[in-house]
Amino acid sequence: MSTTSQFKGYTTDNFFDEMFYDGKKLQARAHYEKIFQRIEHLTETEISDRRQQADSSFLEHGITFTVYGDEGGTERIFPFDLIPRVIPDSEWRIVEDGLRQRIIALNLFLNDIYHGRKILKDGIIPEEIVNSSKNFRPEMVGFDPPQGVYAHICGTDLIRDDQGSYLVLEDNARCPSGASYLLENREIMKRAFPQTFGGLSVRAVEAYPDLLLQTLEYLSPRKSQKPVCVLLTPGVYNSAYFEHTFLARQMGIEIVEGKDLIAIDSCIYMRTTRGLVQVDVIYRRLDDDFLDPLVFREESMLGVSGLMDAYLKGNVALANAVGTGVADDKVTYAYVPDMIKYYLDQEPILSNVPTYLCWRDSDRAHVLENLDNLVVKAANESGGYGMLIGNQSTVKEREEFARLIKAHPREYIAQPIVSLSRHPTFCEDGIAGRHVDLRPFILYGEDVEIVPGGLTRVALKKGSLVVNSSQGGGSKDTWVLRDF
Amino acid sequence: MLSRVADNLYWMSRYIERAEGMARMIQVHQSQALEYAQNDDQLEEFWQPVLQSICAENVHPFEDGVRKIGKTLIFSSSYENSIQSCISLARENARMVRDQLSEELWLELNNIFLFFRNGDAEDIYNQGSDLLLDRISRFSLIFQGLADATIPHAEGWRFHSLGKYLERADQTSRMLDTLNLRKKEASRADLMSVLRCCIALSAFRQQFRGNLSLQNVGSFLLFSEDFPRSIRFCVRAIDHSLHAISGVPAGTFSNEAERLTGSTLAMVNFTNWNQVDSKGLHKTLDELQATLIDIGQRVFETYVLLPSEIKSLGEKSSTQFSQAQQQQ
Repeated sequence: MSTTSQFKGYTTDNFFDEMFYDGKKLQARAHYEKIFQRIEHLTETEISDRRQQADSSFLEHGITFTVYGDEGGTERIFPFDLIPRVIPDSEWRIVEDGLRQRIIALNLFLNDIYHGRKILKDGIIPEEIVNSSKNFRPEMVGFDPPQGVYAHICGTDLIRDDQGSYLVLEDNARCPSGASYLLENREIMKRAFPQTFGGLSVRAVEAYPDLLLQTLEYLSPRKSQKPVCVLLTPGVYNSAYFEHTFLARQMGIEIVEGKDLIAIDSCIYMRTTRGLVQVDVIYRRLDDDFLDPLVFREESMLGVSGLMDAYLKGNVALANAVGTGVADDKVTYAYVPDMIKYYLDQEPILSNVPTYLCWRDSDRAHVLENLDNLVVKAANESGGYGMLIGNQSTVKEREEFARLIKAHPREYIAQPIVSLSRHPTFCEDGIAGRHVDLRPFILYGEDVEIVPGGLTRVALKKGSLVVNSSQGGGSKDTWVLRDF
Repeated sequence: MLSRVADNLYWMSRYIERAEGMARMIQVHQSQALEYAQNDDQLEEFWQPVLQSICAENVHPFEDGVRKIGKTLIFSSSYENSIQSCISLARENARMVRDQLSEELWLELNNIFLFFRNGDAEDIYNQGSDLLLDRISRFSLIFQGLADATIPHAEGWRFHSLGKYLERADQTSRMLDTLNLRKKEASRADLMSVLRCCIALSAFRQQFRGNLSLQNVGSFLLFSEDFPRSIRFCVRAIDHSLHAISGVPAGTFSNEAERLTGSTLAMVNFTNWNQVDSKGLHKTLDELQATLIDIGQRVFETYVLLPSEIKSLGEKSSTQFSQAQQQQ
């Protein structure tokens, strides 16, 4: 049995390291002390056994996601790393307050732009930004969604810079995914690595499905009876299909496809073997564009004809509401700190990453001159698509983005390249530092509820800053420790 | 229960039963061919009626040569009833209704799917086809056992049983039909093969003490009251499932599926070999298969489609429709 440290040769390379406060002497932060000691003295066989155990658990249980545009093995597991990411509770509470503040402001903003438009009239945000947002839905103007909430489920991506400060990278206020991985990662971690939990009070995450169901039931238009909630999925070929079945099963609600639902007299029914059953709340994992071929994309086979009519008449609730995409447009993002000040009269608890908006002439000039030092993002893409990382790009890619920016300035933003914090991660040649982010899931029903921690995503490729599963990212279990 | 979910459970179960039937059919006939067909022509003549009985004569099963026919029927991706296709389709249906399945059931099915996908199945086939075919039959038997032992015997399970017994009745009738489709009169080896395909050899021997004749084999597979793969047994199980789903008392009917099943059950309950013989075995089986297809179609109309959609189906024949269904 070897007694050498698993961390032999580990370096922090001047990045902010989640585990070590001193990279040279490998001094672990207090909240990582126990984990560090346990992992340090594991043997190679112990590690590879557990890793195999975890990987085969994922594959056998079908915990997979689908990669678009990949002919062969289209179903893959989301690689899982055995070293948990640890957050002290004291730190988490600040993050939690920041997220709560943010989702309240975002919802006030959505309500405002679909009603009085005060924030635009007061000149805090230029009106053309909202009007030109691809995800602004004129159908929603003047409509009051159930309980006045728009974004019920929000996944906000956080990163930490070289000082360890938490920054918001983006909000996902349409159909954020990943909650199932957060739950499964914990289950698999408990099975593969039970001894790492010993003596640490890790805050549980298992309440998520119950909280989500409460959030949904709160929206039901029929108060007289137990609400009928369903999860609407685009179907088995969707990248997040596993998550859809997982959440539906955990909540004990039906998972339906568009063809299972039918609109009759402005109400929505599901087709069962006993006839039609009226549906009250739809947790839809389908973009606005596909919801209703009568209103949005005509050719969509995934939605339900007549759904918007039923929704606008208040006979069925949708979570999230239609038209929330304006709030997670990356141009709108730049104004969230202003929204917080405007609506809540508070200072933002969580800062944004500084953002250049290419539609502003001065910003655009700066961006075009400094493409190799910036990250450029399309305002309405997600999943790590439509992105340029300046210092890792080729001249040709930069020329292509320069052309795109000049042609569609509204559609692009740029940010300085933040040196994301790193976390010890099992790699080919032992443990090495890899960049991580954090996606907490925020539920906004009667109250704002956030399960402790979130999904930690890790860029497994050396030096990579892209953590998305579709781009070679993996994930870690995230522990919020009560005693720190 | 969602109509689509009922449909998915029904097809999941059918495809698994079909994979099992195919596996045994290939295994039994490959083994018989070793002794009875020496050259390629004889082999082709030997396989022809078998393929005809499972409606596979037009799918180019000889594309890789007649000696590789087993491999084609197991792995071909262009043949929708190949074992690998059946397993993929069963899993696809299962994936859509995972919330209805026990973890054990899902793991069993997903494991065999992964076993095919990662190439292990082909490796094992190359070591010896029996190793693979045994494993497939065993998988199906374990799967059906788990379905009975780990999911509530409620509506979903009834649709699952319905799919299983409809498929099984169909398989038994098709295996029996190979005896009619051969050019020569059924030999002792042919009769043995049919019994083996239906795992009926020991049960048959117990009842008939080795008195192997077309009449005895035919009567056994059509009319045995207690053998779980006889047509009579399967139709009774279908009848039972249908009434459990609708809640209507046995002996009455509330939809076409129940009426057709009831009258077929009466036929197999009150028919003997002489009547089959005078009508012709092939004709009897042919009518039976048509009725089984019709029952499946009526179940679909009753529980899955809305009344308005049935009207718009119009002139589409039931076979066209069932084919469209199987490729979903």
